[in-house]
Amino acid sequence: MTVIHVENIVKRYGNHIALDHVDFAINEGEILGLLGPNGAGKTTLIHALTGIIRFDSGRIHVFEKNLVQHLVDIKSQIGLVTQEITIFHDLTAKENLQFFGRIYGLRGATLKERVEATLALVGLAGHASKLPSKFSGGMQRRLNIACALVHQPRLLIMDEPTVGIDAQSRNYILDTIRKLNKQGTTILYTTHYIEEVQSLAKRVVIMDEGHIIADGTVEELVSKIHHEEKIKLEIEDPSETMLKKLRRIEGIKQVGLIGKEVHIISQAGAGNLDRVLAIAREFGKIYSVEAEKPSLEDVFLTLTGKRLRDAEEE
Amino acid sequence: MTVFMFVFKRFFRKKANSLSLLFFPLAALFLPTGEWPPMPLGFQYYSIIILFLASRLAGIIMEDRANRTLLRLSVAPISHLQYLWQNMLAYSVILTGLNLVFVIAGAVFHGSSMPSPVQLFIIYTVFSMTSLGFSLAWYSLFRNTEAAYNILGGVIILMAMLGGVMWPVENMPDALQRPVMLLPTYWVAEATTLVSFREPAVDLIIPMIVLLLFCFAFLLLGSRRKLS
Repeated sequence: MTVIHVENIVKRYGNHIALDHVDFAINEGEILGLLGPNGAGKTTLIHALTGIIRFDSGRIHVFEKNLVQHLVDIKSQIGLVTQEITIFHDLTAKENLQFFGRIYGLRGATLKERVEATLALVGLAGHASKLPSKFSGGMQRRLNIACALVHQPRLLIMDEPTVGIDAQSRNYILDTIRKLNKQGTTILYTTHYIEEVQSLAKRVVIMDEGHIIADGTVEELVSKIHHEEKIKLEIEDPSETMLKKLRRIEGIKQVGLIGKEVHIISQAGAGNLDRVLAIAREFGKIYSVEAEKPSLEDVFLTLTGKRLRDAEEE
Repeated sequence: MTVFMFVFKRFFRKKANSLSLLFFPLAALFLPTGEWPPMPLGFQYYSIIILFLASRLAGIIMEDRANRTLLRLSVAPISHLQYLWQNMLAYSVILTGLNLVFVIAGAVFHGSSMPSPVQLFIIYTVFSMTSLGFSLAWYSLFRNTEAAYNILGGVIILMAMLGGVMWPVENMPDALQRPVMLLPTYWVAEATTLVSFREPAVDLIIPMIVLLLFCFAFLLLGSRRKLS
C-alpha cells in the first residue's frame, strides 16, 4: 500500500516557488529519509502533507485518500514530531499525553493505557508527574515525540527530531523509531544528520530549491555518483612485482607506494578489495587496511554542491 | 471539550493567576464610596480588574502560538475555531464565576449602598466577553509574548483613564469627549454610572449592545491569526 503519494505539487509564496512539481511516494512500513539544505522546501512539503498549508496545484493522496477531501480523517492517523518542542510547558508529561490523546478521541481505559505505554516507550514513565521545565533537553525532545505517538499514528512525520540533544538521548530516540517501524508505523524522517538517515532509512529523497533531485536507496544513490574508492594497505614487504600485479586488476586506476603503505584508487563498485588483499597476502603480512567508500554525504555534496550541515547553518 | 477542560488546569497551575483572581477583586471590595459615581468605587474600578484578568487568561493562547504548540494542534483533528471557542468559553466561565462571587460579596459587604447587583453582574459579564475579545485581538498583533504583555498593561490603564472609568469623561477636554466613545471602557463606565444613579434598566441596552459589538469585532480580528 502506498501511504503517501505526492503528484506534481506546486507551492508558491509570491514569486518564490517553494515546491516545484514535487513527486514522490512512501510505501507502508517504510522509513524514508528526507534530506535537503535550508530553503530546500522540506518543511513546506511536510506542512503540505499534514494539511497545515494549501498547495497551488498537484495532488496528495495519504492512505490512498485525497488529502484535501479527507483531511480530518487523514489527520487522525498522522503524527507530527515538530522541529521545535511544541508541548504544553504548564502541563506535566502525563497531562500532555492525556491532552493529545483526548484530542485524537481516546478516552477512559484506552487513554490511560496508551499514555502509560507511550511514556514507557520514550523512557519517561518515571517522570510522568513532572513539568517539562524540570526535564533536560533530551527528555523534552522525547516528550515532544511521545505527544505525536500517543494515538498510535499509522504515519509518523518527524521534522528534525534530534536537534540539539546529547548522544544518549539521540540513540534512545533512534531506537524508539526503529521499534515503531517494526510495529508497522510508516515514517518520514527529516534531519541534519546524514548518519541518522543512513542508519535508519532504507530509502532517501534529496530536495534542493523546491525540487526532488534524488530518490532511491542509499546504495542506489551512492552508485549514481562516480566516486572512486580509495584503499590503503600497510604491508610487510611491498615490492614492484606486487604493485604490477595490483595494477593488472580490472578497475584499478592508480597504485602508489609511500614507505610500506600502498595507496590504491579503484573504480567505485568494482569490488576490488578482496582481490587486492589476496595479492597483498602473497607478499607477507598485512598490518592494516583502510577502505574509503563514497557515502551519502558525498552524494549530497555532489548533487547540491553543499555539505549538509554547512548548508543548514547558512 | 478537551481544550476547555485543560484551560482550568493550565491557568490555575500558576499561583500568580490564582492570587490575581483572589487579591484584586477582594481589594476592590474595600474601596470606599466616592462622590462620583455615587457607589463604592470598587464597583467602578472592577472593570479595570476584568481587563487585566482577561489579558492573563487570553495570554494562554499567546503562549501556545509563541511556543508553536498551535502548530502541533493544527495537525490534529481539531479546527482552529474549535480551539479558540473552547479557550474563550473556559475563560468566560472563570470570569463569570468571579463576577458572581464579586457581586454577591459586594452585596453582603456594602448592603444598601450597592446599586442593583443583578444589573452590575450583567454589565461585568458582558464586559468580560469584550475584554477577552480585546485581549485576543491585542495578542494577534504581536509575535513576542513579553512585548505584548508589557505594552498591554499601559494600554489598559490608558483606556481606563480616557474611557471615564477613573473620572467623568465630562472632565476631559471637549476634543477628547467624542473620540473616547470608540473605547469599550467608555461604555462600561457609562453603564456602571447609570446603575450607580439607579437609572431604569432599559437605559443599559445601548451600552450593552455596543459592548457586544466591540466583542464581536475583537473576536473576528483576533481569530484571524493562527500560527506564526
